[in-house]
Amino acid sequence: MTENIPSSTNEYVHATEFADLALDIATTMLASGAHCGRITRNLDRLAKRWELNVQMQLTFIGVAMTVTSEHDPYHTVTRYRSTPPHSVHLELLTEFSSLTWKAADGDLNFEQVKKETERIKKIKHYSYWSVALAVGFSCACLCVLAGGGLIDAIVACMGAFIGSIVRVFIMHHKFNPMISFVIASFVTTMVSGANMVFHWGPAPEAALATAVLYLVPGVPLINSLIDLIEGHLSSAWNRALFGASILLCIAVGMTLSISLLGLNNF
Amino acid sequence: MTSELLLRILLDFVLAFVVGFCWGILFGSPKRILWMAGLLGALGHSLRFVLLESGVVLITATMISAVTIGILGIYCAHKVHHPPVVFTMPAFITMIPGLYAYRTMLGCIKLTDPAIVQKTPDIMVQIGHNLMLTLSLLAILAIGISIAALLFRTKSVKEINFGKKQKVKKVD
Repeated sequence: MTENIPSSTNEYVHATEFADLALDIATTMLASGAHCGRITRNLDRLAKRWELNVQMQLTFIGVAMTVTSEHDPYHTVTRYRSTPPHSVHLELLTEFSSLTWKAADGDLNFEQVKKETERIKKIKHYSYWSVALAVGFSCACLCVLAGGGLIDAIVACMGAFIGSIVRVFIMHHKFNPMISFVIASFVTTMVSGANMVFHWGPAPEAALATAVLYLVPGVPLINSLIDLIEGHLSSAWNRALFGASILLCIAVGMTLSISLLGLNNF
Repeated sequence: MTSELLLRILLDFVLAFVVGFCWGILFGSPKRILWMAGLLGALGHSLRFVLLESGVVLITATMISAVTIGILGIYCAHKVHHPPVVFTMPAFITMIPGLYAYRTMLGCIKLTDPAIVQKTPDIMVQIGHNLMLTLSLLAILAIGISIAALLFRTKSVKEINFGKKQKVKKVD
């Protein structure tokens, strides 16, 4: 196969090796909240460096990919890989984007790109406590923005903080993620619903409505619409259904706790 | 009167800044970009607040501020060398129609109780109104985020440089 070595890059990468690397990158990006257009752009950039051609079918749970050499059409490989569990992590998108730009400019060789990919996959999210605190503060601020008073904001903050910790606790025990959404929204609504029952704050409805906002699947829903605009229809519907089922789980949890607290109060 | 309005705009700005910053943490944005997410979220939300105060309809006001953040995000991406979506996503979440989604859902729960339906017969209209508001605001936010792909018809933000001639850093 030595005659296939392109003269411009002086590096020959077999389509199989490239497909393994590209599937690694594509599935990780998909799980950390990238829309399909971004994944396609990044991988095209990477493939051009080694004069390969990448075609992809991106869905929500997996990626099917065909890699073809631009010089030899019989030198083709098709692979499929399913994604790891979804959790939004935007830092990975930055890292992969700059990695593919560096590779496209010829600053890194194939082995270095592989090593970098392994490093990027291991980048940690913020700690649970800082996420829980951030969630509490942002829900309190959203509560004030929605017209709540100080007491409502404090109640919303407490509800979101406790709910977030409960969710992480359930996720640690490897339950289905949907269960964690049901229980987290139940706990949050119980805490912020106490405000409604005992009439502590001036606008209890605002606290109740904004305390569960940290569960709303904003990234899948917005990505779904971006995919719809760009024409990745299967992925768009998958994301929309995923977002809708999370919303349904939140509604189930809230309904449970609202019924327990007494629906006529609301 | 004017100073009171200014104070309210400032309060809106500060609250939206905290929201954008904290959603950045929840979404795992890089540490050195969190302030940018907060700033863009605050700008967008207070712009929407000003527009709403001057009598613009909610959907139009959200559209104007979403598109503004989208374009500002492309500009800022060159300054901080990150893809725009990393900080515009948390910034847009400050405007997510959570209250309307909640009212839609609560309306659907109420619809299951015949006593409540008889007491408030216009409940279907309220649910429809809140549902349509939620969906259109969500769609507008998505358009704001993908404004680069829609307006500039380019493959990557790297190539958009607003008429400047110098070599641009890689961002998208």
